[in-house]
Amino acid sequence: MIPSYRFIFIVADILSWRAEMKDLLESCVKKGLGSGASFCEVRLFEERSNNISVENGVAETLGSGIVRGVGVRVIVADRWGFASTNVLTQKGFDVALADAIGGSRSIREHGGEEARVSEVKPVTDTVIHDVKVNPEDVSPEVKIKKVLEIDRAAKAYSDRVKDTFVTYRDVLTKVIVCNSFGASIEEVTPRTYAYCTVISREGDNKQIGFEFVGNVAGYEIIDGIEPDKFSVKAAERAVKLLSARPPPRGTYPIVVDQRVGGLFVHEAFGHNSEGDLVLGGQSIISDKMGEKVASDLITIIDDPTMPKHGHFVYDHEGTRAKPHQIVKDGMLVAFLHSLESAAKLGAKPEGSARAQSHHNPPIIRMSNTYFAPGDMSFEETLEGIELGVYLAGSQYGYVETQKGQFTAKAEEGWLIEKGELTEHLRDVAVNGLTLEALKNVTAVGNDFKMDFPGMCGKGNQGMYVDAGSPHVRIENIVVGGRR
Amino acid sequence: MEREVDLVTPVERAIGLLSKVDLDFFDVTATYSRSLSIGVLGKGIKETSSLDDLGIGVRAHKNRGRGIAFSQSLDPADVETTARKAVAFARMAQPDPYFKGIPGPSKASEVMGLFDDEIRSLDLERAAKFVKAMIDATEGVRVGAKFWGSMNTGYWRSYLMTSTGVSFGEEKTHIGAYLSPTYREGDDVGSSYEYDYAISLGEMDFHKIGKRAAEKAVGQFGSRKVESGILPIIISPDSSGSLCSGLLDAISGESAVKGRTFASNSLGKHIAPGIFGIVDDGTIRGAVESSTYDGEGIPRRTTEVVSEGRILTFLHNSYSAGIAGVETTGHAQRGGYGGYVGAGPTNIRVKPGDSSLDEMVSETKRGILVEQAGFFSNMVSGEFSSTIDEGFLIEGGERKHPVKNLMVGGYMLDLYRNIEAVSKEGRELGKGHFFPAIKIGGAKLAGK
Repeated sequence: MIPSYRFIFIVADILSWRAEMKDLLESCVKKGLGSGASFCEVRLFEERSNNISVENGVAETLGSGIVRGVGVRVIVADRWGFASTNVLTQKGFDVALADAIGGSRSIREHGGEEARVSEVKPVTDTVIHDVKVNPEDVSPEVKIKKVLEIDRAAKAYSDRVKDTFVTYRDVLTKVIVCNSFGASIEEVTPRTYAYCTVISREGDNKQIGFEFVGNVAGYEIIDGIEPDKFSVKAAERAVKLLSARPPPRGTYPIVVDQRVGGLFVHEAFGHNSEGDLVLGGQSIISDKMGEKVASDLITIIDDPTMPKHGHFVYDHEGTRAKPHQIVKDGMLVAFLHSLESAAKLGAKPEGSARAQSHHNPPIIRMSNTYFAPGDMSFEETLEGIELGVYLAGSQYGYVETQKGQFTAKAEEGWLIEKGELTEHLRDVAVNGLTLEALKNVTAVGNDFKMDFPGMCGKGNQGMYVDAGSPHVRIENIVVGGRR
Repeated sequence: MEREVDLVTPVERAIGLLSKVDLDFFDVTATYSRSLSIGVLGKGIKETSSLDDLGIGVRAHKNRGRGIAFSQSLDPADVETTARKAVAFARMAQPDPYFKGIPGPSKASEVMGLFDDEIRSLDLERAAKFVKAMIDATEGVRVGAKFWGSMNTGYWRSYLMTSTGVSFGEEKTHIGAYLSPTYREGDDVGSSYEYDYAISLGEMDFHKIGKRAAEKAVGQFGSRKVESGILPIIISPDSSGSLCSGLLDAISGESAVKGRTFASNSLGKHIAPGIFGIVDDGTIRGAVESSTYDGEGIPRRTTEVVSEGRILTFLHNSYSAGIAGVETTGHAQRGGYGGYVGAGPTNIRVKPGDSSLDEMVSETKRGILVEQAGFFSNMVSGEFSSTIDEGFLIEGGERKHPVKNLMVGGYMLDLYRNIEAVSKEGRELGKGHFFPAIKIGGAKLAGK
């Protein structure tokens, strides 16, 4: 009985804290308007995380953290001002509001970009994403046991496995947004992850392999891990890479798997479609709306409503999120928008602005971005390639949107000879020019998968995203080989 | 710009609680920071931002297991919860066979010049004028740019106490500015960036940042593709920093001593010709990466890391030093109050050579001048494939045209082995780093 009473008290405490916080947020918005702001947005952010790190069969570190604070954003004298604090008292809110207002006034004499926002119909809503198994209901001991099982399976794969690392992490993110249009949104999102990293060794040759799962989900995705399949994938990759060769150098037709295709669409095109970069003259497709920017085979969608890692219902400006078709059959048909970019580019905001924490203003971010599937089998995407490179498993990428030049790094690859995969390759990276590369897509597979949960960095902010694709073939891509 | 925040009382409160529990070691750190920034996008200044951040982090060790917890609240109840969580985690964690303890107190000479009152009192109105000056300098070179950039200033204060008797506070200021102008002529794009950072306002030259950014951007018009080949590359001082940082990361801390980096076996070995050397110096007055103590309370020092091409030492914190069986070199890096303590370089000073960038170019029949590229390798294997984000084709000892769609690949240690020349002039960054131009013979280039 004692735990039950304790639970009731805790719940009552949380509800009372939430009500108190909402009052503070709404009163801060009113004060902002009273102080001369034409727009005021106050956002509470809280993120609670737990993690377990296992190295070579030892669960040596357990950790947890709480990030919590408020961000205040105003338009005063047609200029943006933003301020944030971790001090969640009336005084803390007042100081942040004064800082935001003072900041916007301080830049009004220097020209530059005016601040404007699209007015959207205000919504009041609370969204709590359901999970099958709440990570808080699973004891650390049970979690440790599972993580150790995952680690053991990787270690047992081969005597060439030198080191194994498994990390478990759960994160509960709460965002409450109130703005002067009258929006009052609360969204609570759980995310859970497991990462397995394996280093293999043979003499001086060392290689690394990864496998990971992560989603808007609870502990059920960890329960669902079969170590013999999950961590063995990482170990197998690391060990097989010991005998893989460096890729050849030069320009080749390439075929990318679903993870590399996801990275490719995110880096090569997705960032270019972000409305803030478009209106700021930082995108290679700023002036290409309605034009052909890709092969007829290409349709690109960013869909925050998909139940994947980049999923959310409301963005951090309080706008309900909708799927966005960016490219349709090779034609540029839409950009991603915030309240500001929608106002300046004459579009409707459909929920693409998010912030890493209370310390950052919302900026335009992708969510779950993907190449839509075509109708070819994997074998058909390889057909007719005399000499090319197949890339699998993404590591990282980046893009210079203003120049339209991107780089993508894969975990491994294979040489394609006469339409067949032959020699195993390691550390394959490619470089391309966005507008050339997308026009050079000559085959799109029917085997779509979205399986690349990650964090995307932009403007010093990290954000939860996912990316997917079917197998895709692209001609004339520079492969940064070492032979 | 500082707000009154007491860091000592919450740290002492946590230490008091932890002292009553049966732990082997523990440490508590609290930090407060305030930063201001001005964002630039499109036509010019777009927005301002001011940030107050504080937090407390606890690391507890029991039977070689480690529990870590942090909170962004210094309220007594939150401090207590954070400490209790770290203790509970430490008891559940399994023994790390390599952990040998945390260091005790040491005396150090204070490194001066790490704090600038002018930054502490800087307001956004004055800061905006510096940003405007940077933009005006760009327009002075050529009008019509679309911008992306920012200027940030920060004040940071921390306090650390450990169960072994370490107890010290630090405060620092920081200022940085970055500007990227983009010009367009039809489908041709001229775009680049320039930046600088320092401890004090007096070290910054905003006009120079804006002017140089514009000159570099205009110089990128007419970029062309280049054929694949094996050619010498000259890595400019703007880009050699990533090459040198990559090596120092590979010889730092736990990964290096546990044999998990491409340079793990390089201690005491010649990795480069005799003209190449690196000194790491965490004691330079007024330098961004300087401090009196490292993240564990060990005095910062000057460390000769690479001499005449030979790696003399790895960079250690107490954990990696314990594994290697040596004394820590004072390179512990504590990432704020989040709890993680790693190891890494401070101010990296590459030994100047006797060549010059102009001589390197004029002596090259055909090669590539790399102005911007990230030489980030696979840390385990040392293999890399990097895009040359900005560069020029050199023919007959002259810069011919900017390049695009070009990659350079290879093994990191091969790059070092193939160093042919180091320039005497270079770039000072943050008043501490020094990076010269470095010429590499025979790099593998992938292009059209």
